[in-house]
Amino acid sequence: MSRLLQTPFLPSVTLPTKTRSSVTGFRVKPRIIPIQAKIREIFMPALSSTMTEGKIVSWVKSEGDKLNKGESVVVVESDKADMDVETFYDGYLAAIMVEEGGVAPVGSAIALLAETEDEIADAKAKASGGGGDSQAPTSSPPTAAIEAPVSVEKKIAAPPVSVKAVAASAVHPASEGGKRIVASPYAKKLAKELKVELAGLVGSGPMGRIVAKDVEAVAAGGGVQAAVAVKEVVAAPGVELGSVVPFTTMQGAVSRNMVESLTVPTFRVGYTITTDALDALYKKIKSKGVTMTALLAKATALALAKHPVVNSSCRDGNSFVYNSSINVAVAVAIDGGLITPVLQNADKVDIYSLSRKWKELVDKARAKQLQPQEYNTGTFTLSNLGMFGVDRFDAILPPGTGAIMAVGASQPSVVATKDGRIGMKNQMQVNVTADHRVIYGSDLAQFLQTLASIIEDPKDLTF
Amino acid sequence: MALSFSQTSFTRPNHVLGSTGSVFSTPRSLRFCGLRREAFGFSPSNQLALRSDRIRIPSRKSFQVFASASSNGNGAPPKSFDYDLIIIGAGVGGHGAALHAVEKGLKTAIIEGDVVGGTCVNRGCVPSKALLAVSGRMRELQNEHHMKSFGLQVSAAGYDRQGVADHANNLATKIRNNLTNSMKALGVDILTGFGSVLGPQKVKYGKDNIITAKDIIIATGSVPFVPKGIEVDGKTVITSDHALKLESVPDWIAIVGSGYIGLEFSDVYTALGSEVTFIEALDQLMPGFDPEISKLAQRVLINPRKIDYHTGVFASKITPAKDGKPVLIELIDAKTKEPKDTLEVDAALIATGRAPFTNGLGLENVNVVTQRGFIPVDERMRVIDGNGTLVPNLYCIGDANGKLMLAHAASAQGISVVEQVSGRDHVLNHLSIPAACFTHPEISMVGLTEPQAKEKGEKEGFKVSVVKTSFKANTKALAENEGEGIAKMIYRPDNGEILGVHIFGLHAADLIHEASNAIALGTRIQDIKLAVHAHPTLSEVLDELFKAAKVESHATTRTVSEKVVV
Repeated sequence: MSRLLQTPFLPSVTLPTKTRSSVTGFRVKPRIIPIQAKIREIFMPALSSTMTEGKIVSWVKSEGDKLNKGESVVVVESDKADMDVETFYDGYLAAIMVEEGGVAPVGSAIALLAETEDEIADAKAKASGGGGDSQAPTSSPPTAAIEAPVSVEKKIAAPPVSVKAVAASAVHPASEGGKRIVASPYAKKLAKELKVELAGLVGSGPMGRIVAKDVEAVAAGGGVQAAVAVKEVVAAPGVELGSVVPFTTMQGAVSRNMVESLTVPTFRVGYTITTDALDALYKKIKSKGVTMTALLAKATALALAKHPVVNSSCRDGNSFVYNSSINVAVAVAIDGGLITPVLQNADKVDIYSLSRKWKELVDKARAKQLQPQEYNTGTFTLSNLGMFGVDRFDAILPPGTGAIMAVGASQPSVVATKDGRIGMKNQMQVNVTADHRVIYGSDLAQFLQTLASIIEDPKDLTF
Repeated sequence: MALSFSQTSFTRPNHVLGSTGSVFSTPRSLRFCGLRREAFGFSPSNQLALRSDRIRIPSRKSFQVFASASSNGNGAPPKSFDYDLIIIGAGVGGHGAALHAVEKGLKTAIIEGDVVGGTCVNRGCVPSKALLAVSGRMRELQNEHHMKSFGLQVSAAGYDRQGVADHANNLATKIRNNLTNSMKALGVDILTGFGSVLGPQKVKYGKDNIITAKDIIIATGSVPFVPKGIEVDGKTVITSDHALKLESVPDWIAIVGSGYIGLEFSDVYTALGSEVTFIEALDQLMPGFDPEISKLAQRVLINPRKIDYHTGVFASKITPAKDGKPVLIELIDAKTKEPKDTLEVDAALIATGRAPFTNGLGLENVNVVTQRGFIPVDERMRVIDGNGTLVPNLYCIGDANGKLMLAHAASAQGISVVEQVSGRDHVLNHLSIPAACFTHPEISMVGLTEPQAKEKGEKEGFKVSVVKTSFKANTKALAENEGEGIAKMIYRPDNGEILGVHIFGLHAADLIHEASNAIALGTRIQDIKLAVHAHPTLSEVLDELFKAAKVESHATTRTVSEKVVV
């Protein structure tokens, strides 16, 4: 296999020692330097005929290590296999330009090899100061390769908290002044990855040990941007008691809306609806993919169609709009927030399509892929906490809509029937919050009566 | 009956004797006679034995019993001994020897002072495989990326520690019963009590039971080795014996030693949620493996996991956790002995290897001096005494002789000894014994490592070639989404001899046997490369190696075996 790997070192670039300039090859600055030393570039080798780029699996050697001809320097993953890349020159590994996990195109420089120890500094300067301009007459410049790594998240996380790299994992980092740092193996690994310095960190683990979540907390504390990035890199950290957590974008949006809702005069009307018929229907068509949420949305939409005022909205306080379509928004709790995917034209779409649409919206919401029109076009909102056993609650009216309905759990209740008997019926309580500037008590009462009749005789729901 | 059977086998020609038999340069039957005389010479002790009423008296009546037993498999007793063969220690080595002895018609007894099955079954290979089976599944279920690539969705995988521990314990019990039953079914006498050698061909077991046998095999095995300075409390500072009970899963465990045992436990503990710190005295992790394999293994088994390590250091002092203090580990530089660091962890597992269990065996009665506890033996497992001469009729197999501390090596050595005592000379080729480490993925090897082979080649003047293949090129491995791994073969291009094979990848432990059998039987690459492998299977990884090897065209194909003496 090593025969394949004779390519990594292409003819080297001659670099005058002590030249700070990154520019080589083209304009060699004449200086008073007696020795012409060599700094060679290590290129991403082509390990197979189809390979266009390679991923650095690991650096076998680290910066400053002496390399002997034939020694493995780096392990590269191609499209086919992982292979050790050997050096064909003696020298020192001066600078690593593509870190572990990074990807570089075939032929681009991934490291610099200095012939003598003195040249390591030059090579380093060349690697860092080089920037985008001129990297000898080779292919793409190394910085391009550095920019390439797939792990972009890490790069985002790094800047705000960037500190000097933690000592290699083989060394237990003992700080000066006799104060030792005790950190778990994973915490150390994370610290290295997230570029968090362990010194001065207060551990929350057993005996004050620094554990992974301490490192994560520091990395996350670096800024909102970092917090988001970190979340994607590592598992969501547990709740850190006593810590100050800045709002995420979503939390910010919710907060603004909630405060804004205080400018609207709202009132509430409740109603108890018997759901035996609805439950029976649900049982019957559940196998066809129909969900309870879709059934409730459908019933609500049909009721709204008969009471357009409840589907209206007042935005300026001087006028209101009878909305042309009935778009039922349904509140969904997702990781770290709340979103209201909208079932558009819920009165017109059939129950099966509506159920499919709902499933699609929820999946998109979980994946954070909802388009704006899929969550901000609601004209009426449904909020259901019944699945948690909540029997009644009231909701805050989202700005820009006329009403929101809070749905509790459907529970077996003992009721007195009209013929004077006592019976058992499944009942749920709904509670509508509405904007009293346009919707009055009698409007809601009639709407709820209609809704109850639809739910108690749900044949219309399936057309 | 047994005697006449033995006699016939003695007439077989003996190839190896002339070259290696320094002591027994006389024909084997003569040696046999000589030993018989020697045995008769010890008749006083025999009579002494007869006086004891607790032992089996080879009277006419008991002879009948034994004879009937022999119809079940176990042989009839020899005329002047209680047994043909006594094995001290019913571990895997002793068990293998006992089964083979019965097959050869020898009247066999096995003495066990603890539980049948020894280390392997009760405190080693077997329960650890149960834990590793769990860890492998946990690892897979927790690997969301891996599952996603299959299109599978698994919600948070969890485990019940006691359930895992029970699985390991149940497996050990089951295998122990199987082992016991297999010996009982064959009529092997299982004698309970601590066994020791009283003198030539005489063994004591339990309090004062004395029995005699034509040949004796010591198979007493080993115990975890705990370096001095380390205080084992069985709770927070533990050995593999305790760890296999899985009484706790610490948040952070230090594992002292990164050989097979340490590696396997790191696999178990990290899968169950622990973080691990390795402490290795040598300069690199996983010493003893082929360097290339250990390098790749480190990239897969160590670096991406919640493991860090300290190499080139000794744990000079380990204090168990007490009074709210954690386990304290003092590290000193392996070379300069200067203090290097102190670790505070929740638990420490001592996996620094195993020490032979040979104390109190009565070895002084036969003038045997152990070397660091190991019983010195020759290549035929014959015990060597303090003067460097062979002790007649006394053999030692398995961990107690330290040749190759693996369960299956002990068993192979036992079978080799039985072959010899039943009249057929046999020398075990240790280079054909495979070894495996059951991490995820597994590591396996047989024969020489690349540096060893190159050194040998230089010394003996032959060329050494290496061929490698990746699991990424194997269809079955890719179907399992387990393309990580390599296999390499070290061979002689001039004659096609396989010198060593090393595999790191899915089911490596099962794959190695094609190579180890080829080495054991002397099969050459030019022959085995024509053999067919089912497609698509992992075995094609080896097929790939055989086919990729470049054997010089003048090398002859051959099927006759040529044994390599170790």
